Amino acid sequence: MSDATPMPASAWRRRFLTPIARQRTAMVGLAILAVYVVGALLAPWIASHDPTAQDLMAALQGPSAQHWLGTDSFGQDLYSRLLYGARLALVIGFASVALGLVVGVAIGLAAGLIGGRTEWLLMRITDGLLAFPELILAMAFMAVLGLGTENLVYALALSFVGPFARMTRSDVLQVKSQPYIEAARLMGVPTAAVIWRHVLPNVVSPILVQGGMRVSIAILLESGLSFLGIGVVPPTPDWGLMIAEGRAFITMAPWISGVPGLALAILLVALNLVGDGLRDAFDPSTQRE
Amino acid sequence: MERQTVFTLLDVERTYELGKAGWFGKSRGRLKALDGVRLELRRGDSLALVGESGSGKSTLVRIMLGLEPASDGRVLYGQHDLGQLDPAARKRFAREVAFIYQNARGSMNPRLRIADILAEPIRLHRLRPEAEMTGRVAELLARVGLPAEMAERFPNELSGGQIRRVAIARALAAEPQVIMADESVAGLDVSVQAQVLNLLRDLCREGGITLVFITHDLGVASYLCERIAVLYLGRIVEQGPTGAILGNPRHPYTRGLMQAFPKFGAPLTAPLKGEIPSPVNLPQGCRFAGRCPEARDACRETDPVLAEQAGRQVACHFPLEVAQ
Repeated sequence: MSDATPMPASAWRRRFLTPIARQRTAMVGLAILAVYVVGALLAPWIASHDPTAQDLMAALQGPSAQHWLGTDSFGQDLYSRLLYGARLALVIGFASVALGLVVGVAIGLAAGLIGGRTEWLLMRITDGLLAFPELILAMAFMAVLGLGTENLVYALALSFVGPFARMTRSDVLQVKSQPYIEAARLMGVPTAAVIWRHVLPNVVSPILVQGGMRVSIAILLESGLSFLGIGVVPPTPDWGLMIAEGRAFITMAPWISGVPGLALAILLVALNLVGDGLRDAFDPSTQRE
Repeated sequence: MERQTVFTLLDVERTYELGKAGWFGKSRGRLKALDGVRLELRRGDSLALVGESGSGKSTLVRIMLGLEPASDGRVLYGQHDLGQLDPAARKRFAREVAFIYQNARGSMNPRLRIADILAEPIRLHRLRPEAEMTGRVAELLARVGLPAEMAERFPNELSGGQIRRVAIARALAAEPQVIMADESVAGLDVSVQAQVLNLLRDLCREGGITLVFITHDLGVASYLCERIAVLYLGRIVEQGPTGAILGNPRHPYTRGLMQAFPKFGAPLTAPLKGEIPSPVNLPQGCRFAGRCPEARDACRETDPVLAEQAGRQVACHFPLEVAQ
């Protein structure tokens, strides 16, 4: 299927850029997010120290010219760890949501389009996944899979499959009954092309909006799991891990937990702003003229 | 020379089971949407299907398009049973038979530009090389009287009249041999309606296209179509040349429909009494007997069959006299 003609720039701008740009708070969130992304990308060049280099002589120091944001109990530089931590948080957040989205959308599409027994089976599996709170499900999986960044992504992705599958299925059921799907079939459009050209584009925008909002949940869950000691392996620079390490010294050296905690809070607020903005811009049920 | 037969319908029936919900639901009865429809369409024919809402016009067309299976009887496209076409024949059928939906806007993917909507059947059936696509799309738009700039728009940016014309342009894009249209001019501006009707008429007269046109507007039917079939409760009650039938209806229902249609300078005479009865529990005898001003005892006992009478087919025990 030669699906050649690219969308002209003007149409693209009209449909995607203008609605987002109109959301003020989303632009603020996007700006903050951009700072994090740049920081994460440039981490190897703008970090002042190796994030895992320990210097016990310089442990528990407050912010100074040498260590801009201070050091933790092992003498690791908090500023450098913060940058590398942002990298990890963003990668895990986006990767787990992307993986969960792809699998969930595939399950939802299959259930909605095939129907019958297949749909029943897939939806019962989805119900099973949805019966557990995300954190519990991810914890159970980390316990089975073992620690590590990759396993963390799989565990988080699994906890997102359920919501995406259910959402996709209900949208597919709605789109499937639209006359344009029948019209396409009548014209002889092959099934794969009907799904790709006619079903997917009409269900994808609420799913992407939902995906954007889930990134912040993923990052929060990831930090939570690491904080509980069932996430990434120390001494990987991870915010949850950093907060956990600083907990014992919270009265003597509050910056150890405070710095990553603040970074996490600001990122989550920014992501939520972007998510809400995306929803307001593209979700038809909240769209205003 | 006999013109080639395009569609043959042999006693087509369509029944729906009612009230069957869930695994343990009991059927509350059967709805006969179509009951023994016999029809033949030859190349170049233009047939109007008229009747009140619920008479089975749309169901008939959906069965002819293969969108719904016939519960009983056979639908032949050319020489082949529509339900048993092999993939190659099915693909040919998809190209040769185009359908224009009543809900024109709903029949278009809201995420595609008009250009892509029109190009879809062309690309699908490889009717034009990719390089000529823009030109062909503009040509199709011009054919239905729309400016070429429309190609860049999305369906929800077009007005009701424009979107209907795009629907017709899409039907033409596949270069079909048969066009079926469901109420394609209802609710259109009079001038736009005339334009669309003229376009369809030209296509039939010059292009040799076979047209099946659902309408409840007898004026439209007589302008556009050479043949007319009047449906009542899933059955054809009168069928034949449009001029003869609308000039001299022989079935009381046809006459009732014509009287219900307002005319200039004449008061609205007693239209059809009552509602179309429910097709779930059909009365014995002629199904029109309950509303027929001419009904006699025989009508309530035996169901009349569609019989050949002077160049047309009528299903009535006591057809109206032809006024001389």
